[in-house]
Amino acid sequence: MRFEQVWFRYARRADWTLHEVDATVEPGATVVILGRNGAGKSTLLQLAAGVLRPGRGAVRSRPGVVGWVPERFPADQPFTAGDYLRRMAEVRGAPESAVGHWIERLLLTEHAGTRLADLSKGTAQKVGLAQALLVPPGLLVLDEPWEGLDSVARTLIPDIVGEVTAAGGVVLVSDHRGEITALPGALHWTVAEGTLQVTTAPPAAPSPAALSPAGSGEEDEVIVEVAVRRSEADRAVVALRASGHRVLGVRG
Amino acid sequence: MRPLVAMRIAGFVRGGRALAPLIAVLVELGIIYGGGASPAAVAYGYSAVALFPVLAWLTKLLLDTEPDVQRRLARLSVGPAREATAGLLAALVLSLAVCVAAMAAPWLFHGIDTSVALGSGIALGVLAHLLAVPPAIAVGALASRAVTGSIRLGVTVLAVAAVLVVVLGLTGSFAPWLVPPVMATARALNDPAVPPAGELALLTGWAAVWCAVAFAGYGWLRRARS
Repeated sequence: MRFEQVWFRYARRADWTLHEVDATVEPGATVVILGRNGAGKSTLLQLAAGVLRPGRGAVRSRPGVVGWVPERFPADQPFTAGDYLRRMAEVRGAPESAVGHWIERLLLTEHAGTRLADLSKGTAQKVGLAQALLVPPGLLVLDEPWEGLDSVARTLIPDIVGEVTAAGGVVLVSDHRGEITALPGALHWTVAEGTLQVTTAPPAAPSPAALSPAGSGEEDEVIVEVAVRRSEADRAVVALRASGHRVLGVRG
Repeated sequence: MRPLVAMRIAGFVRGGRALAPLIAVLVELGIIYGGGASPAAVAYGYSAVALFPVLAWLTKLLLDTEPDVQRRLARLSVGPAREATAGLLAALVLSLAVCVAAMAAPWLFHGIDTSVALGSGIALGVLAHLLAVPPAIAVGALASRAVTGSIRLGVTVLAVAAVLVVVLGLTGSFAPWLVPPVMATARALNDPAVPPAGELALLTGWAAVWCAVAFAGYGWLRRARS
């Protein structure tokens, strides 16, 4: 899939949100899109998915089946989670068995009869993830997929990403919270000042393991258990990773 | 496309937003048929004119019920052309149901004068409603959020179109062809004699051309917006 000199703006006289975006993704690749809030990550992802049309330039060779997980799931609909997924499966031409499979796999069974509007943010996010996977996607676009998910569900995302890329699909993920370490081998693109910089190495400080020769750093590691206030857990994880530590898990 | 049409109708009906236009239809039926029995053609001619703005409003409400992000998901799933068509078909199904109810209702309280040409009157009434439904859907679609982007502009488009259909449709209008022939059809049906076939063909052709232009405009505007 190729971005060819893609320019985009939201209104005719507005400033360009993105300009001169040029990039290529090979089949089977995972790309993590980094950038601060409002940099244009979501816009780039929607251009990739085909939800937005470029003002200039084009996105070429987009795979036929696109699964898009929007940043916020549109929960303002009078359906239960199960009913919504069954209807989306019909709309997308997916077999009914796909609905049961994803409800079970994403731990949605007990929420299948709950109205979308009554779901918690994380559960609604999982329904958004399920609808994107009903038909195996050739391009999976995940806009901040970790947002609101509990620690069990978080671990599912790398597996799902791995399955899509193993089948030759492309996965684009945006992330501003430093969860990227969960996706080894991913390419990194940074959106800044309205354009895209393609960087292959993670921009975060290299971990001690990566600095030590032959990657044998893990032998020198010790496990330190740390307790932090629940409200600060996310920030602590990001800070620990930024200083080069490996966060093995979060519980509680 | 059928599942998407069904999903949109279900979302609209279950969400409760259908209630307001439904009440408007009941009020209109009360006004049209409350004063005693009238010939079928005349009554149905008025009924089609009165239903026009309500059906346009119903279409706008139906298309606006679905959240923007869900509309984009549907568009990715079935493609832009089928996504837009599914919305129009959902509006068509509901509009036809409203028309059938509006044409059947007066029989419950003797609103139709059965002593004059009943068969031709009913046939003309069906034609009048069929000529009003597609333009009403076109107006509602052009006023929908997916096209106008804002509530204020959407309501303005809807209100201005509803007024213009009446004002430009009056006898002696300087540009009657700018609006669909809803008023012209009602006038033709108000005549005690059955209107000649040529006149009915002209009205049908006029409505068809107007709708073709309006739906083409809708398709073009939707293509440019997500």
